[in-house]
Amino acid sequence: MSGANPDTMRITLKVWRQKDTDAAGSFKTYYLHDVSPDMSFLEMLDVLNDRLIQTGDEPVAFDHDCREGICGMCSLVINGQAHGGDAGTTVCQLHMRRFADGQTIHVEPWRANAFPVVRDLVVDRSAFDRIMAAGGFISVHTGSAPDANAIPIPQETAEQAMDAAACIGCGACVAACPNSAAMLFVSAKVSHLGRLPQGKAEKDRRVVAMVQAMDAEGFGNCTNHFECEAACPKEISVENIATMNREFLVASFRSRDLG
Amino acid sequence: MVTAASPRLESKSPTGPIADRWDKHRFELKLVNPANKRRFHVVVVGTGLAGASAAASLAELGYDVTSLCIQDSPRRAHSIAAQGGINAAKNYPNDGDSIYRLFYDTVKGGDFRARESNVYRLAQISNNIIDQCAAQGVPFAREYGGVLANRSFGGAQVSRTFYARGQTGQQLLLGAYSALMRQVGAGKVKMYPRREMLDLVVIDGVARGIVARNLVTGAYERYAGDAVVLCTGGYSNVFFLSTNAKSCNVTAGWRCTKRGAFFANPCFTQIHPTCIPVSGEYQAKLTLMSESLRNDGRVWVPRSAGDKRPAIDVPEGERDYYLERRYPSFGNLVPRDVASRAAKERCDAGFGVGRTGQAVFLDFRDAIARDGEDVIRKKYGNLFQMYEKITDENPYRQPMRIYPAPHYTMGGVWVDYNLESTVPGLFVLGEANFSDHGANRLGASALMQGLADGYFVIPYTIGGHLAGRKLEPVDTGHPAFGDVETEVRERTDRLLAVDGRRTAENLHRELGRIMWDYCGMGRNADGLRGAVEKIRALRAEFWENVRIPGGTNEFNQTLEYAGRVADFMEFAELMVEDALAREESCGGHFREEHQTEEGEARRNDEEFTHAAAWEFQGLDEKATIHLEPLDFEHVKLTQRSYK
Amino acid sequence: MLRWLGNALSSSIGKKILMALTGLFLVVFLAEHILGNLTLYKDADGTAFNDYKHTLESFGPLLKVAEIGLFAVFAAHIVLALKLALENREARKQKYAVRAHRGKATAASLSMLITGSLVLVYLFKHVVIDFRFNSAYHEAPAATVKETLSKPSNATFYVLAMAILGLHLAHGFRSAFQSIGASHPKLDPLLEIAGTAVAVLFAVGFATFPIYFLFFWTGGAS
Repeated sequence: MSGANPDTMRITLKVWRQKDTDAAGSFKTYYLHDVSPDMSFLEMLDVLNDRLIQTGDEPVAFDHDCREGICGMCSLVINGQAHGGDAGTTVCQLHMRRFADGQTIHVEPWRANAFPVVRDLVVDRSAFDRIMAAGGFISVHTGSAPDANAIPIPQETAEQAMDAAACIGCGACVAACPNSAAMLFVSAKVSHLGRLPQGKAEKDRRVVAMVQAMDAEGFGNCTNHFECEAACPKEISVENIATMNREFLVASFRSRDLG
Repeated sequence: MVTAASPRLESKSPTGPIADRWDKHRFELKLVNPANKRRFHVVVVGTGLAGASAAASLAELGYDVTSLCIQDSPRRAHSIAAQGGINAAKNYPNDGDSIYRLFYDTVKGGDFRARESNVYRLAQISNNIIDQCAAQGVPFAREYGGVLANRSFGGAQVSRTFYARGQTGQQLLLGAYSALMRQVGAGKVKMYPRREMLDLVVIDGVARGIVARNLVTGAYERYAGDAVVLCTGGYSNVFFLSTNAKSCNVTAGWRCTKRGAFFANPCFTQIHPTCIPVSGEYQAKLTLMSESLRNDGRVWVPRSAGDKRPAIDVPEGERDYYLERRYPSFGNLVPRDVASRAAKERCDAGFGVGRTGQAVFLDFRDAIARDGEDVIRKKYGNLFQMYEKITDENPYRQPMRIYPAPHYTMGGVWVDYNLESTVPGLFVLGEANFSDHGANRLGASALMQGLADGYFVIPYTIGGHLAGRKLEPVDTGHPAFGDVETEVRERTDRLLAVDGRRTAENLHRELGRIMWDYCGMGRNADGLRGAVEKIRALRAEFWENVRIPGGTNEFNQTLEYAGRVADFMEFAELMVEDALAREESCGGHFREEHQTEEGEARRNDEEFTHAAAWEFQGLDEKATIHLEPLDFEHVKLTQRSYK
Repeated sequence: MLRWLGNALSSSIGKKILMALTGLFLVVFLAEHILGNLTLYKDADGTAFNDYKHTLESFGPLLKVAEIGLFAVFAAHIVLALKLALENREARKQKYAVRAHRGKATAASLSMLITGSLVLVYLFKHVVIDFRFNSAYHEAPAATVKETLSKPSNATFYVLAMAILGLHLAHGFRSAFQSIGASHPKLDPLLEIAGTAVAVLFAVGFATFPIYFLFFWTGGAS
């Protein structure tokens, strides 16, 4: 994508505009002539919006917050790639120097039935919260915890749990999946908590409840394309999905009161 | 001005031996009968560390909890961006730490402007927090043997910081979020995302609910309760450019101030020394890099002003490692306020580097030569990568350029020992209150305070309010809700009706520049007085010339944002007033008139050993100052010295 | 009583596990099939192959049970595939205008439904027209095989079909292990290699028969 960086770049944007969830959407074309290669993609959209407001048009709605790649709010599909195609990078950390002068850029929202469009590029990801409410936790009341060093955890286990826990819940895995499956998101949490000794007590209950909640939201099924892993800004491994499959299978047979 | 206690500020701080105060206080607080808890309704605003932990813990106790957040999910609150770690007095490394030492360091680090009782409680609770978070599955770093790892952070002389790679805030927040979602799943918490609190409803002098806007539909919604818990974070975005998330704002706290809560020490803002410098006019926010970088990086500028050679071409003898020069004992690890001011001093004197001259070098050359690139990569790889993504420069080959940026606000809504504001029933937790960090916050202490407030303070102290006061049943049909909603609606309609020519962002940038120039790292009376006039003029300009497309009954991000900017325009004035009134330099507040011959901050303990809590009197009226004197029985007032 | 099993198997993960297990079963069948076919190379007159066929038939009703079982597994694999494909289509009603993959999804993984359908078309010809339901085959098994495969049109068709089967296996084999939860940094590279090996082995292995009979078989006695 990257070419020689001029001082400013010309960019043609084709942006998905949609008034609300029920409205039909379409692409609108915008031309920007003075994009600095040092701008982040979102700053470029800020500049576009500033201009749209000045000229009396409605600015493009898009989700963003921390702008340092950790809150998981930003969620754009750029030229067909969730978060724009740089490995391990959220859109807010993607810079315009990664594009070529004169390039045409398509910007779309996450597309999945389970993530309805709220407006323009903003989608509703509350399905993820409902999955978490179903079982994405360790049941420990405030105040009832033993001393933190009472349960030693091998460093390798802690590191693996951390790898999975790094998920920012942005939904890029769903957006990138040819089937709109949410397996990487759900498995990251199942695997993070299931690996730790503290999380083992309710391991069976957790995986079954979370998978049931996931299925109820209308996500697709995993067919092991591994596009999710490639799109994940935190580079979470699909090994977690295998772990979840295994845990689900075991839990379904072992547990006496589930299913 | 002599510090005389205001009768309106009753700190309720317990007396007696400091180690027993919290126990004693908890015993004296009234308890709510377990069977009655479900009849009490608590509204918690915000889902950061403080909000999520409070909502979860209160629901676990049996209270009926409503939780609101401004983002699309409670998991996204800005606590998530904290990198470095969380302090606790566990003394696992056996290096001499103790609750008393953590207490001592925090009071001293806060430059003696915090309440001793609160800070001691914070240090006591710090250990429970680590236990709680580990039990929730927070994947803290571990030693090979499986016990928790610690590191030294932010210049502390002991290793008391627990961490989860460079994402400690994220992991702690996700822990609190999971506890919250567990209660949502159990039906004990009703969760409302994409809601923005726009006002507080006070009935018979007690906070009984809020009015919020549904950011998706634009509808105004009323939430009634027996207590309101504000966990809405800090106001660094008053500077426009800060390390805060874009949605961080002062609206909730400010609107409560307009309803009678006092706002304390608004001028105490922290400027973080290790941020990536501004690169252009379009810049929307600044990115912080963990100050753990200063453990191995050396800060320098060229010895001669205006030297624009690339860093690697500047020979050793022509480099000025100014922190090591000025502070031989702490060197590059001096506290944040000191490091930030020293960088500004060099840049103002013309020694700054980079295109803008508003940056200093943070150099890893020597650390790489000493430990090897692999070791450095292992410690800081993610930070180096982030730096490279943003600047397109390779920090393994050339030094980073850094500059201070607004980061955290120690000031906030005034609260007593129970974390209750001057409006009964309104509790304020985490960064939104003013309580524990005084004039400067130490690294790895924000996470500690947010979680202490939410997990281990509010669950007890709210009982005192609920059991101790006669609370008539109130629902959202009460006329007070209607009145507040009408006011909020009119304000929004007025915003839309302006239909001027400037964007809210453009006006916000201008406000940010005023605040940065006159109420930033260095402040003086003339500048501050001028700033008041400038802010007033800009506020007038805002209300005459802001342009907000779209309407109110829809998802309208420009409208949301303009409302927040409007509040910043009002709040900024209070910040400047406070900075003007505090005729001393302490912590993050540096008044250029009050410095030693060596350019260090000079406190005025005679007159300013107090918290200044401001009572709003109307927009064009001067706010009334109330003073809470601070007693230092345990940590003797000394001049901070890092030489 | 078995509601738990129904629930487990009808979940998204359950369906995938069934896909994997039926698929792996079919791979085992392929292995048996190719071993049987090798008897064609044993002698020129086809006696070995004919004997092999007779041995199978000597199992009598057991063979019927095995055939029905095999059919059931095929049917389950196909029905589940269609169900998954439909659900997956349904999960994204509004498609992307521009779509770019990051190179993790492969031609094989993206075309499973197509390659699977083509294999089904092939099976129709292979089973219904050419052999299993062709009376000529039962009269002179080896000869019919050789006659059929030596025709250029058939040989081409069979070779192409085997290439498609190989493509199907190239994703399917590796994917099945992921679906049943067999993944580990030490195992995964081996599975990658095994997946490719299985695909190549079966595709090339089966394709040798039409190629042999087209180019190298001199016809005549059987």
